[in-house]
Amino acid sequence: MSGVQLKSIVKAYGAVEVVHGIDLDVNEKEFVVLVGPSGCGKSTTLRMIAGLEEISGGELTIDGRVMNRVAPKDRDVAMVFQNYALYPHLNVADNIAFGLRIRKESRAHIEAAVEEVSGILGLKEYLERRPADLSGGQRQRVAMGRAIVRRPKVFLFDEPLSNLDAKLRTQMRAEIKRLHKRLGVTSIYVTHDQVEAMTLADKIVVMHDGRIEQIGTPMELFLNPVNAFVAGFLGAPPMNQIKAVIAAGDSGPVASFGSQTLELAPLPELQNAVGREVIVGVRPEYANIVTAPQPGSVTCELDLVETLGSEALLHMTVGGTPFVIRAETLGNLGRLDDVNGFTVTPDLIKVFDAKTGLALSGQKRVA
Amino acid sequence: MSMQEHHTGGSTEEQVVEAKEALRIRRPSRIQRVGDHMRREWQLYLLLLPTILWLLIFLYKPMYGLQIAFKDYSIFRGVAGSPWIGLEHFQTLFNNDQFIRALRNTVYISLLSLAFGFPVPILLALMFNEVLNQTFKKTAQTIVYLPHFISSVIIAGIVITAFSPSAGIVNTILEWFGVDPIYFLTKAEWFRPIFVGTTIWQEAGFQSIVYLAAIAGISPTLYESAVVDGASRWQMMWKITVPSIMPTIIIMLIIRIGNMLEVSFEMIILLYQPATYSTADVVNTFIYRQGLQGGQYDLAAAAGLFNAVVAFVLVMTANTISKRYSRTSLW
Repeated sequence: MSGVQLKSIVKAYGAVEVVHGIDLDVNEKEFVVLVGPSGCGKSTTLRMIAGLEEISGGELTIDGRVMNRVAPKDRDVAMVFQNYALYPHLNVADNIAFGLRIRKESRAHIEAAVEEVSGILGLKEYLERRPADLSGGQRQRVAMGRAIVRRPKVFLFDEPLSNLDAKLRTQMRAEIKRLHKRLGVTSIYVTHDQVEAMTLADKIVVMHDGRIEQIGTPMELFLNPVNAFVAGFLGAPPMNQIKAVIAAGDSGPVASFGSQTLELAPLPELQNAVGREVIVGVRPEYANIVTAPQPGSVTCELDLVETLGSEALLHMTVGGTPFVIRAETLGNLGRLDDVNGFTVTPDLIKVFDAKTGLALSGQKRVA
Repeated sequence: MSMQEHHTGGSTEEQVVEAKEALRIRRPSRIQRVGDHMRREWQLYLLLLPTILWLLIFLYKPMYGLQIAFKDYSIFRGVAGSPWIGLEHFQTLFNNDQFIRALRNTVYISLLSLAFGFPVPILLALMFNEVLNQTFKKTAQTIVYLPHFISSVIIAGIVITAFSPSAGIVNTILEWFGVDPIYFLTKAEWFRPIFVGTTIWQEAGFQSIVYLAAIAGISPTLYESAVVDGASRWQMMWKITVPSIMPTIIIMLIIRIGNMLEVSFEMIILLYQPATYSTADVVNTFIYRQGLQGGQYDLAAAAGLFNAVVAFVLVMTANTISKRYSRTSLW
């Protein structure tokens, strides 16, 4: 089984520890995405798996074999780099064949492998070109070709789409997904882009400050973030977060902020937390707009409307706190001008402890 | 032209054409564009001025004197007053055994320097790049850069001492192996190896800086990618480092070819003696002896001009070949 296991992996540069003992199981054929803000340790973790960074502590196993002291070439991994890492003096065919030539594979095998890979990636007509004569997307495909031609046990991707424009990124994302389906190779992918994480991953690992915040499927993380950080990181736009205090309402717990209240789900963990300072989390797509006060609605001020076509992002303020609502335009932007509040189904509201950031309530409904 | 005049006499069609012409934004001429640029960026041109003045005074103004290569020059009559004699000096030169010998020596020494001296800085840079211990690397770099900053006179003094038949280290070592002392610097056959070795020792370290800078510009991810692919350090050196610095190597080679006939003549003057003239006398030392010591300025100018023309042809040829085959060129 060509899975990857990280047990209490630590990375330290002198006295400075940047990865603090992370545990992760990547199953065979799984596509795992490490996501987090810059400096969270995701690339360092990937480089430790590749063997490009020494592991300061813990144990790394690939395919059941401890790899801490094994040279990168003997780990049977292939890596795709952010800046493509193509050899400028070699043409596409030679770039793809580089790893095989280094390993002194036979000429016939190399030619067949380059032929096959260039066919898979649609690079056949560019084989004689040098990297400088290719577009960004073509270069990225060559970089992937270099990785897949060796048929490694594990693919490692280090922000491979960051240098591409938005349109090409979407296109290449789909190609990577298709490629993974076709080849079925265990893949670990690093990105800071939560959209890439959500769309590509079988399993997402959210990292922050050298620690893993949460591991789960994209929907698990979206619906049940374990803390305010994960809630704020995944989703576009991210989850709105309002500081509040839990109070006892007429029919159950409510979140009180300023002079307003928001009804919460009647869960025991919230009913028992009256008086606690919390962060109330509402996803932009779960807030329903209102143009006149209604029972249970929260009043807010409309600052700005960003049009996306069928939808619009309404930038509001609730007692001075920014709050974004994703609303349908229904072909008439004017209908959004009078929005002055919102309602939310209590089940869809997330509540986090204000001090620890940990979730107090679980999401009950799968959208 | 007044408006009235402008509109009288022409048909409507002509007027339309004229109006179109007037409306069309005229593209400024090249001179206008340069003038505009100079007015806008005058500070940059001011910075350029000292270099241009230096070039004009020290490189272009002396070219006026080149005409003495075609004149029967006399310092009393001056450059302008001396009579033209056509290519007579060149005929004299090519009938002069000493010049032919100097030309042959120049070519030999240049080719030896190119063959042995050109690769050494590249190899040094590649070796420095592989040294992992930073203290050792810096110490070694300082040691190999040092001779460049020492006066040629001192370098020549060290060489003369080292090859001295009585107390020189080379002969001392040879004596350990039972070899009789050799008078290296008086033997013509030893001059070229000693000269080429000395210039390599003096300049190779410093010249390696260019290649080290080129190596520093190679993206580290190329190496990381190769490491993951399974390349050894040796393979990375030959398959990544060398090809990546190849444009720099080619540029340096073209420059070197252009300077090929400019053999370091101070060092030759410091090391040679009449006994070694047969292998040591080069065009520049010939010019020095004929021109400055012998007072034949016109003949020396002809020899110098010949040298320059050959160098120009060489650099143009090298550049054209390189441009065609490697897509790298000086211009």
